[in-house]
Amino acid sequence: MALLEVESVNAFYGRIQALRGISIEVDKGEVVALIGSNGAGKTTTLRTISGLMHPQSGTVRFDGRDITRTGPSKIVEMGICQSPEGRRLFPRMTVVDNLFMGAYTRNDKPGIATDMDRVFTLFPRLKERRTQIAGTLSGGEQQMLAMGRALMASPKLLMLDEPSLGLAPILIETIFSIVREINAQGVPVLLVEQNASKALEVAHRAYVLETGSIVMTGTGKEVAASEDVQKAYLGI
Amino acid sequence: MARLHLRERFKDRDTAIFGVLFLGALVFPIVTMFATGSSALIAQAGHAGTFVLLAIGLNVVVGFAGLLDLGYAAFFAIGAYTYALFASAQLGSSPLHHSYHLPFWLMIFVGMFVAAAAGAILGFPTLRLRGDYLAIVTLGFGEIVPQLSYNLPQWTGGINAIGGIDQPSLPAWITGPWAGANSISIIQGAACRVIGSGTSFAPCFSFGFDPIAYYALVVIMIIAAVILVGNLYRSRLGRAWMAIREDEVAAAAMGINTVTTKLLAFAIGASFSGFAGAYYGASIGLVSPDDFLFIVSITVLVMVVLGGMGSITGVIVGALAIYFVLNTFLPALPPFVENLANNVGLGFLNTQNGDWPGLAQETQRINFLVYGLILVLMMLLRPQGIFPSRVREQELKHAAVNEDEAAVEQVHAS
Repeated sequence: MALLEVESVNAFYGRIQALRGISIEVDKGEVVALIGSNGAGKTTTLRTISGLMHPQSGTVRFDGRDITRTGPSKIVEMGICQSPEGRRLFPRMTVVDNLFMGAYTRNDKPGIATDMDRVFTLFPRLKERRTQIAGTLSGGEQQMLAMGRALMASPKLLMLDEPSLGLAPILIETIFSIVREINAQGVPVLLVEQNASKALEVAHRAYVLETGSIVMTGTGKEVAASEDVQKAYLGI
Repeated sequence: MARLHLRERFKDRDTAIFGVLFLGALVFPIVTMFATGSSALIAQAGHAGTFVLLAIGLNVVVGFAGLLDLGYAAFFAIGAYTYALFASAQLGSSPLHHSYHLPFWLMIFVGMFVAAAAGAILGFPTLRLRGDYLAIVTLGFGEIVPQLSYNLPQWTGGINAIGGIDQPSLPAWITGPWAGANSISIIQGAACRVIGSGTSFAPCFSFGFDPIAYYALVVIMIIAAVILVGNLYRSRLGRAWMAIREDEVAAAAMGINTVTTKLLAFAIGASFSGFAGAYYGASIGLVSPDDFLFIVSITVLVMVVLGGMGSITGVIVGALAIYFVLNTFLPALPPFVENLANNVGLGFLNTQNGDWPGLAQETQRINFLVYGLILVLMMLLRPQGIFPSRVREQELKHAAVNEDEAAVEQVHAS
């Protein structure tokens, strides 16, 4: 049994069907990439998992428990934490306050302090800027903060929505190496990306989404080697 | 060590303002009694205290949680009517045919609770709405409550209002100069309703209409409210409110239950106006639907915005400033202008002539234009409010410095 199991989920925005019978699994220790073009349903999938929206049919199970109809706050408490699309920092709070907000559901002060250190080790940049207002950070730093904030919840599953969006190539490199590092520390990652080549490099397994359905799945290398994917997403 | 600590505390702006306000509140009645020999100004200050309480409460909703509430006076009305109904002869002529005279000290908390419940009941279906939509629903609620009290005369007295509301009374041993002149006429063996409705064994004094007693009461209520709200602000709930104000989706992603958190802001904010309402009913002795119209909601909102949203000291000062402008400055303006014209040799402006009503009358007519101008000017000069919350102030400072830094860095990074 996998850690996260999404089973034939159908989701709608009003009358428009966004997800058509999607099934995804994420196992412990894995990095799983969800790639596809704009509007393919990547973010909707994440929103369905995190409880920000509920599917019309299908089930989402986490750790063996059905969370299809669970609210977002409960799901965060269970250990699924996401760095949402567009980063969604608290722009007028400081870096440290943003990180503390990430630990909102936790009560163990020593644990929070340990995780704060861990985040600062992963992102030394954030440590330098700990008292700075989040809205004034550069794009790369904001992404680091969004990831750090998600890590502060001490997640059993980390979901990253487009971490490379709008970043300079050198920073994208940094961000993905950090994703690897987070995973090496034992946190499974579900990665949603438009930047398919980078995501497939990092991912153990990948799903390709197209207009709400999964059209291909396999290991990162397999998917990257497929001709269709190369034409459509890798620009080869 | 201790001294250092104390000095640091005094450096803290908010502590300093609280200290000044507290001292001012202590000195004010003594000075006015000596200077004017009458307690009229103290009565006005007691009335202003109602608005300070309202502003502190609305600040929780608007300043902390960022929910625009345009019908706050409705909760104020609910608190005032709760006290008025259960502490006057009113219910005797209602379909209940039995009048209640419950003690003020109990009803003040009942009023709080009822207003909080009303806030929760209104909030439950509507807090899923955002921004403008929520504002319009609260606006509607603010209209409904006074209309109800106009149109249910058998319960609320309608346009005739509820009069003869009981005044608070306290055991005589609490009496002192702070209890006002009425404390002299201690009623031996009379019904002293402190906790229960039965007669008491101790001699008692009634607040009567003594402004000093009410002034002392409202100051204590404000201090209690400040301590409560200050602690809430620093609590986990306070941080959740701040997160929701900044970005609701992000707050939900952090595991904050946004509906419950917003509901709590609404209910807690409303409870303070219930508190204020009970005090208002007791101190004025009359509760009429005219006291809770839309203008009251807007006035309190102006106090909060102008004082500095989210800052407790700010909204207190804002409430006092707006109250002063509305109740002292604007009424004093026409005679002042008339005198001024006489003194500088423009006395002819004061005589009525055709369409010209005379300077004083004209000033009277444009009173609210002046008020509007004052508001516009203050918002232009200090858009963040008189005393913005420390967090916000620092944010603004940081923003100015760091914006350039961040821009430079972005260039380097790409």
